[in-house]
Amino acid sequence: MSLTDRIAQGLESGWKVTDGASLTDNLTAEADVVVIGTGAGGGTTAEILAKSGLSVILVEEGRLYYQKDFKMDELTSYANLYQEGMSRVTRDGAIAILQGRCVGGSTTVNWTSSFRTPEPTLNYWAEHFGLEALRPDAMAPWFEGREERHSMAPWQMDPNVNNDILRQGCEKLGYSWHIIPRNVKGCWNLGYCGVGCPTNAKQGALLTTIPGALDNNAHLFHSLRADRLVMNQDRIDHLQATAFASDGITPTGIQVTLKARHFVVAASAIGSPGLLLRSDIPDPYGRLGKRSFIHPVNASVAQMPQRVDPFYGAPQSIYSDEFNFRNGVDGPVGYKLEVPPLHPAMSSGVIPGHGEAQLNNMAGLPHMQSVIALLRDGFHPESPGGTVSLRDDGSPVLDYPVTDYLWSGLRNAFHTMAEIQFAAGAEKVRLMHLDSDWYSSLAEAKAAINKLPMEPHRVRLFTAHQMGGCGMGSNPQNSVVNGFGEHHQVGNLSIHDASVFPTSIGANPQLSVYALAARNSARLAQRLG
Amino acid sequence: MNDHPASPNPHEFTNLDRRSFLKTGLGGALFLGTVSVTAGLSGCATQPAGRLSAVGTRMDASYQFRFLTRDDITLFEALLPAIIGPGLPEQPQARNIAIAGTIERIDAGIHKFGPANQKELRRLFDLLNFGLTRITVARVWPSWPNVTTAEADAFLERWRTSGIGLFNNGYIALTKISNVAFYGYRDFWHLSGYPGPPQHAVDALPQFKNA
Repeated sequence: MSLTDRIAQGLESGWKVTDGASLTDNLTAEADVVVIGTGAGGGTTAEILAKSGLSVILVEEGRLYYQKDFKMDELTSYANLYQEGMSRVTRDGAIAILQGRCVGGSTTVNWTSSFRTPEPTLNYWAEHFGLEALRPDAMAPWFEGREERHSMAPWQMDPNVNNDILRQGCEKLGYSWHIIPRNVKGCWNLGYCGVGCPTNAKQGALLTTIPGALDNNAHLFHSLRADRLVMNQDRIDHLQATAFASDGITPTGIQVTLKARHFVVAASAIGSPGLLLRSDIPDPYGRLGKRSFIHPVNASVAQMPQRVDPFYGAPQSIYSDEFNFRNGVDGPVGYKLEVPPLHPAMSSGVIPGHGEAQLNNMAGLPHMQSVIALLRDGFHPESPGGTVSLRDDGSPVLDYPVTDYLWSGLRNAFHTMAEIQFAAGAEKVRLMHLDSDWYSSLAEAKAAINKLPMEPHRVRLFTAHQMGGCGMGSNPQNSVVNGFGEHHQVGNLSIHDASVFPTSIGANPQLSVYALAARNSARLAQRLG
Repeated sequence: MNDHPASPNPHEFTNLDRRSFLKTGLGGALFLGTVSVTAGLSGCATQPAGRLSAVGTRMDASYQFRFLTRDDITLFEALLPAIIGPGLPEQPQARNIAIAGTIERIDAGIHKFGPANQKELRRLFDLLNFGLTRITVARVWPSWPNVTTAEADAFLERWRTSGIGLFNNGYIALTKISNVAFYGYRDFWHLSGYPGPPQHAVDALPQFKNA
């Protein structure tokens, strides 16, 4: 392979990259800062700190996969690039969790949607969590900076048919719709963002901040799991980590000890509270792992008269916020409408069914269109979120009870999605629900939606947006970190990922994580410099 | 008597108030845990099947099973004709190869699930493999090698339409891993009309050059 790939080139040029699987002896290393996690938060942090002249060690439990590995194949990608081989679910199994586990984290496998944190969300944080410094005006320059760093811009090409049907439905019904900004450069419009970008177009952490950090002498350890932050009196002394074999999941028994002046945890809204809980980090008010949010997602599929080919083309390019804030910030739950890509493995796993019925569902894939609704959880007393805790083996698990308040939002969302799909000319529509049939008119679908039991397991629920669990706020009694991501109790610990969000975002969270991590890392670089 | 889940009499089990049984996730989890222990003690195959001989099993003898036991393999051999249904080839040899290959991909997939989800699946498979619970909980009377496709389908339908979340969850687990391993594999992409990755990209990209 010619060395046009940024990662292949960097490795050739002598980047400090250690594959945990290659270690044969226990090891101790030291740096100014250890950053745990290489996703949106960790990558940003590592690049900014490394560029400021600090020595940085990056720790990633997943493996380093890059262009040579991205072959547009679902089975290998889901197994290798996602948490728990794409089988991660909430504790009761009722909600599927799509989350990256590889260098670049979820930014390596997301669908590139890049939204600023909505202004009502930032204002809500100021009013309810004392985060005045994060008001929209103050955050604007950080969003701008990250939009530039990750080449984010509204998608210039025509949406694929899958997305265009959302646009058409909204247009017919008088609902607002907009074009999604995407973090891509020279995108081929292929449709494989979710399995690792094959053309290096996606400007996620893997091709921006991680190379930026490594060019500035950062040291990346991958296939290495952060087990425990070990305190010495009131400060963290070192991180204890365990290496995985090259399958990415079998521990080799090799232990790595990483010492630093400062530790930044950016291991995701499930991984970060998990690590802090395993480490017995001081938590005097019992806040760790609480208020975890997921943008609960339900979905509806339509059979269209025209070919949709939902497996091709930029996966997400059109959205509607018609229902996101229409009831105010904290009224009945709002939801954002988007479209998911549909490839055969994903579709066959998401659409519930078996036998001839499932074969018929799948045979319609080229004409299949789907809409998803992402519920804006966490802004209402009846949406207190879930809880991350530890299983017996020390691994984190999210318990997320769906409240009546959320169920009613999910039922409304089913109505909206069916309405939009029929307005756009759907021949029939099916809800992602164990009891749903295909309905051939809006009236039939609406009657069914009113009757479908809204219960865990029967309604198929998903999330690709994990947030909260180490919430930020000015008051240590109801938060884990302050507005700069600094831990309230431990002086040399910061948290730079989606776990610090005190509510959900109300939009795909990657830009929110990038921007906040950039802001807080700039401050941290000054503090440590 | 009627609320005892282990009642061996089928008529009595039919009268059971199923909603009161395994109602909570916790109760269910504890119960399934007990089944796993019992299954182990009673001699169900609890070790991964490893490498099977091609003759005895119709499997690709080069594949090394890392999670599924011989009993699990038998279970999926009984369930896949119902889960995939007419998607499976009719010609006997092609059909056997399709089933065997799907089971291997199920095993490979589960290997990547990690310990916590593997533990949950072990409980589910043990419950289905262990005679007493196969009859009382799944209400499948014959042992799996003797289960007809119609019986397997009826079992899946019972769990799909059950008012008990734990059974719905079991249905989703069984069908999801089977559907993904089947429809996601290139040999069966044609069933969903999926042409595969765009050829112009495959032709142009370096990662496909050495393949």
